[in-house]
Amino acid sequence: MVKNNPVQGRRKIEMKKIAKKNNLQVTFSKRRAGLFKKASELCTLCGVDVAIIVFSPAGKVFSFGHPHVESIVDRFLTRSPSVRIFDACYNIVETHRDANIRELNAHLAQLDEMLEVEKRNGEALDEVREAGRRQWWWQAPIGELGSNELQQLRNALLELKMNVGKQAELLQAAVESSNCWPFLAPNGVGTSGFGCEGNEINVPSGTTQMYKFDQDLYLDF
Amino acid sequence: MTRKKVKLAYITNDSARKATFKKRKKGLMKKVSELSTLCGIDACAIMYSPYESQPEVWPSAMGVQRVLSKFRKIPEMEQSKKMVNQESFLSQRIAKASEQLKKQCKDNREKEMTQLMFQNLIGKAGMHGLNMMDLNDLGWLIDQNLKEIDKRVDFLSKTSHNPQGSSSSVAATQSAMTTAMPEATPRASVGESVQTETNNNFESMQRQHWIMELMNTNPQSHVGFGGDEMMFPFGDNINVNNNALWSNAFFPWEK
Repeated sequence: MVKNNPVQGRRKIEMKKIAKKNNLQVTFSKRRAGLFKKASELCTLCGVDVAIIVFSPAGKVFSFGHPHVESIVDRFLTRSPSVRIFDACYNIVETHRDANIRELNAHLAQLDEMLEVEKRNGEALDEVREAGRRQWWWQAPIGELGSNELQQLRNALLELKMNVGKQAELLQAAVESSNCWPFLAPNGVGTSGFGCEGNEINVPSGTTQMYKFDQDLYLDF
Repeated sequence: MTRKKVKLAYITNDSARKATFKKRKKGLMKKVSELSTLCGIDACAIMYSPYESQPEVWPSAMGVQRVLSKFRKIPEMEQSKKMVNQESFLSQRIAKASEQLKKQCKDNREKEMTQLMFQNLIGKAGMHGLNMMDLNDLGWLIDQNLKEIDKRVDFLSKTSHNPQGSSSSVAATQSAMTTAMPEATPRASVGESVQTETNNNFESMQRQHWIMELMNTNPQSHVGFGGDEMMFPFGDNINVNNNALWSNAFFPWEK
């Protein structure tokens, strides 16, 4: 079988109760979600009313209904031919709901797309990491390094950390000086310190989320 | 499967809509059936459409009645707990997708930071373009790595008393070295002599010597440690303040 999508493993599956409990649970979760998704799509595409009720292997009940599970169940049980008693209000409510659903669908589609992009980014970054690991010894997993290498790497990192601190101090000094001169922000735009547009000076205001380093060399806001 | 991506909107074309309805209705019922069989659970589906006066059901009118009465017997709170309609269902999926996206972005950022850190170590990237948040994250990442190193050093010092431990670390470093520097020519001869020693101190001296040699003979090699841009104290003197080579590399932004 050719797998196009790395996420979905397509295998031919026998149509009988799954033997392994764990697999059964997982399958239930996935298929239930997929089922509801299909039902939701059908409602949007063809304008039908649907209700689906399923009991989980554990005995919990899941239900999907459009417009609501309740109204469809009642409609079925009472067998009344027409349910649209409050026609006028119903239409208004319906159009609002449809607009809302349209928005939600659009939002979801956008998120899925962004997620796809970021996943691909992640994969590319993984490749770079892998290549680096093979090429430079200090990029190898720390568990693979010997004592001397560890010492060297440690010293290098400590020094680098110090420099990060120095750079941070530089930045902070620059921010503070631009605070004193509200009309002379780096790119000439008249702002008052925080919130200026220069790339290098971009301090989030109210820096409460700053990570505190073990050694308080810098970043003492 | 589908050849073209279907836009998720009400199909205005009547015949197209009816055709889609027929296909998808069939597919949906099939999915319900499969779920029920594969997982050995009770399920039912009820569908009202403008195309049929009677609702379409699965498994059958009787089956639906049975499941519905089972459903109705459950306390109402339980019934509504996992009850969704289109809006709530979509909202849930949006929340989930947002979470996944957030996590993916966070992971990607850490990966990018790692690359930045590595590049800074060999003086190949400056810190000019970094904002305070970037510097903060970079510092955090460095700390994480330092912690891991300390743990490893601790572990190694504990096992170095055991001869088994030191030889395995030699083996590990051997493989790390050989995979790390495939183009180093002095490697072959030095490698053999190192193997005979199991004493950690001697081994580290050998390696330092070897790296210095590598550096001196081939300063612009593909290995990446170019002349002034070296971050690592590849000399006898590990005192960072005194090593001229060292200082050059740590101020890349002054170039």
